[in-house]
Amino acid sequence: MADTPEPSSTQQGLVVANAGVSANADSNRSLPRKDTDNTTRTLEELARQNVAPFLAKYQPRQYAPLRSQVSTPSEQHLVNASYCYRHQPDSKCSRRQADEQSMTQLQSELNLLPQSDQQGIAHVWSLFSAAPAKQRTLMLQGILAQSCFPQLSYISASVRELIRIDFLAALPPELSFKILRYLDTASLCRAAQVSPRWRALADDDVVWHRMCEQHIRRKCNKCGWGLPLLDRKRLREAKREIELRATNWGNNKPAVGSTEAAMVETCSTVQPPASGKRKLESDEEAAALAKRHCASSPESPEVDESYFKTRYRPWKEVYRDRFVVGMNWKHKRCSIKVFKGHRDSVMCLQFEDNILMTGSYDATVKIWDTDTGEELRTLKGHVAGVRCLQFDDTKLITGSLDRSIRVWNWRTGECISKYNGHAEAVIALHFDCTLLASASVDRTVKIWNFKDKSTFVLPHPQGVNAVKIDSVSRTVLTACDDGAARLWDLDTKTCIRVFHNHIGAVQQVIALPREIELENHLADCENDHVGTSSQSGDNILSTLSPLLEATSPSHPNSPFGSSFDQDQDRIEPPRYILTSGVDTTIRLWETSTGRCLRTFFGHLEGIWALSADTLRIASGGMDRMVKIWDPRIPTGQDTYEGHSAAVNCIGLSDSRFITGGDDYQVRMYDFRA
Amino acid sequence: MSSITLTSSDGVDISVERTTAERSVLIKNMLEDLGDSGEAIPIPNVNEAVLKKVIECDDDDNRRKTTDIDEWDQKFMQVDQEMLFEIILAANYLDIKALLDVGCKTVANMIKGKSPEEIRKTFNIQNDFTPEEEDQIRRENEWAEDR
Repeated sequence: MADTPEPSSTQQGLVVANAGVSANADSNRSLPRKDTDNTTRTLEELARQNVAPFLAKYQPRQYAPLRSQVSTPSEQHLVNASYCYRHQPDSKCSRRQADEQSMTQLQSELNLLPQSDQQGIAHVWSLFSAAPAKQRTLMLQGILAQSCFPQLSYISASVRELIRIDFLAALPPELSFKILRYLDTASLCRAAQVSPRWRALADDDVVWHRMCEQHIRRKCNKCGWGLPLLDRKRLREAKREIELRATNWGNNKPAVGSTEAAMVETCSTVQPPASGKRKLESDEEAAALAKRHCASSPESPEVDESYFKTRYRPWKEVYRDRFVVGMNWKHKRCSIKVFKGHRDSVMCLQFEDNILMTGSYDATVKIWDTDTGEELRTLKGHVAGVRCLQFDDTKLITGSLDRSIRVWNWRTGECISKYNGHAEAVIALHFDCTLLASASVDRTVKIWNFKDKSTFVLPHPQGVNAVKIDSVSRTVLTACDDGAARLWDLDTKTCIRVFHNHIGAVQQVIALPREIELENHLADCENDHVGTSSQSGDNILSTLSPLLEATSPSHPNSPFGSSFDQDQDRIEPPRYILTSGVDTTIRLWETSTGRCLRTFFGHLEGIWALSADTLRIASGGMDRMVKIWDPRIPTGQDTYEGHSAAVNCIGLSDSRFITGGDDYQVRMYDFRA
Repeated sequence: MSSITLTSSDGVDISVERTTAERSVLIKNMLEDLGDSGEAIPIPNVNEAVLKKVIECDDDDNRRKTTDIDEWDQKFMQVDQEMLFEIILAANYLDIKALLDVGCKTVANMIKGKSPEEIRKTFNIQNDFTPEEEDQIRRENEWAEDR
């Protein structure tokens, strides 16, 4: 490379070396036709003559397919790599257009040169153009060997610019989908705006079904995003069809039909809620259901129609609806509705779909329609404040300071029965399947069995503030004024775990949903490991637990006691529970060890209201504030103000939370679009 | 450790350790079906340059983690788009899952965080939408922007 050859002389040399061969016979890659001045024409004539043998040898087979536009993906896949995909006719790629543009430009530059130079250069180009891959490589090697550094630098810069491939157009669809699966929501939606081909791929059910799977009702491990629930069963069962679709994409439409068929099948079997807490509300299906049991509206054909429509929605739309709600939570965008009517503090509430029930120190329960804000009914009967309530499709059960428990037909407003089982005020109650648990100031939790009418008592050292049954594991959680929360085995009627770390009374205890995934985030479990105390009879060493963490059924030595050992199939209690207390903290516990894994600081006064789902924790306190937490991040929280007095109770769903306070008000914060 | 010979689409013989070659499910199955006759195995869909690159990756395969593209992968994937394209096709054809994953992730990373126009520029894609269509599609997808 010591002596740098003049570019022109180099080309001259090449032309001489290949005397007799030239010109551009490759009609597809030729210089533009519109240049019909003499030079080009003579050049082409000359070329046609001289290059003929060369072309006869290479041309017909290589380029014949260019004229036939029929193509199938499998063909494309089979074509040998003697040229890249760009020069294969069946790949839908814009590359050739770009070539023509640059060729036009080249031609006009060429025209500025003396005619002899033009001819020489054209020869080189056309020779190269006609050559098959192997020969081309050799030519390039020759040119590179003769280039000096500035020229190589020019090549290197140009090449980077030139090698740009429309991957999604060039790759088979299943590989394109594989690429798209690595994208986040925003990137996918931008990809959909690139070109019609990209749009078809990036909007496809194959991509969005997966997005739904990754994010709905759980936090995606990659992006930390979680979205509200939709029917899980449907999600799971559509999966196989979707996979089929990814592989058959572009080959007619058989897969589409079957996907829809599968959806119809799965949707028609909407699972009944396991407990009273159903969280389907952002789904029109649920809305339709709600309308049915609300009041006495006769089923109209319209309802059925909208019920039907939801099944054929593209998964991107399903995802979008939930994403928008998720965004609204993130940015605290919500509409607020205030329900006024109680004449004393609101102490308890529950809502399902459009039905909201609130209990108050004014001794009444009010039923509201959250869609209209209308007060549907007031239930009177208790002679003192209503402290707790729970309803399902058929009944409402309330507990009161008047020491009684009442069962109501809430549709008619009729009080069906009344139970006097406690010596003091009933503070909390919870029913699940055939069991009802009630907690009282009289230092007991009473378990009522609806089926065999039996009852029994779980004694506590002080008054009990909260109770939660977990039917599947036959256990119950309680929160007590003595500063401890307890886990009880309903089979043996003994306490299997004490969670002792709060200072002062524990106001609330709830279980986190079993499907919540916290493992990664708790690995570096912070503060107080001291919270362990196995004061119960079954002396299980908390140090054993890491070994036993595995999955439910096969536990040779259950951390939950002998009763779980004997029955190998018995499902373990929820893995994590939350408590809140007058000490202004919320605590997250691991039930198998009794360890306090996290403490949530933020409230300024005692926390009376606590609720949680797989995505967030909601709490309300004497400090009049409502806080929304991410269970993985104890430091971050959103604060909502609005009540002018203490917040006593809170209900949480995918898209809303509702609070009741000492200001007699009920406030709904709705994050739906 | 025994080695076998692969013949690339452009007729070049490449010797490679058998364990390395067997990361390709295709080659593994071929060896199982045909037995190791000592003859070169033709790989008709992959040229020499790509095949060498694929083997280079396999040599260091044990350093790969499944989740994110680590530093080594990133370096390995610092190739031009044509090579990347060929690697993806080769990995797919040879059935080397880890390599296919890395290839696809690399393309995804080139798309991530870019505006539609930037994506078009990156991959040299013509905008075939009319301005009206473009505007409509932009509005359709507006919800995904974090605002």
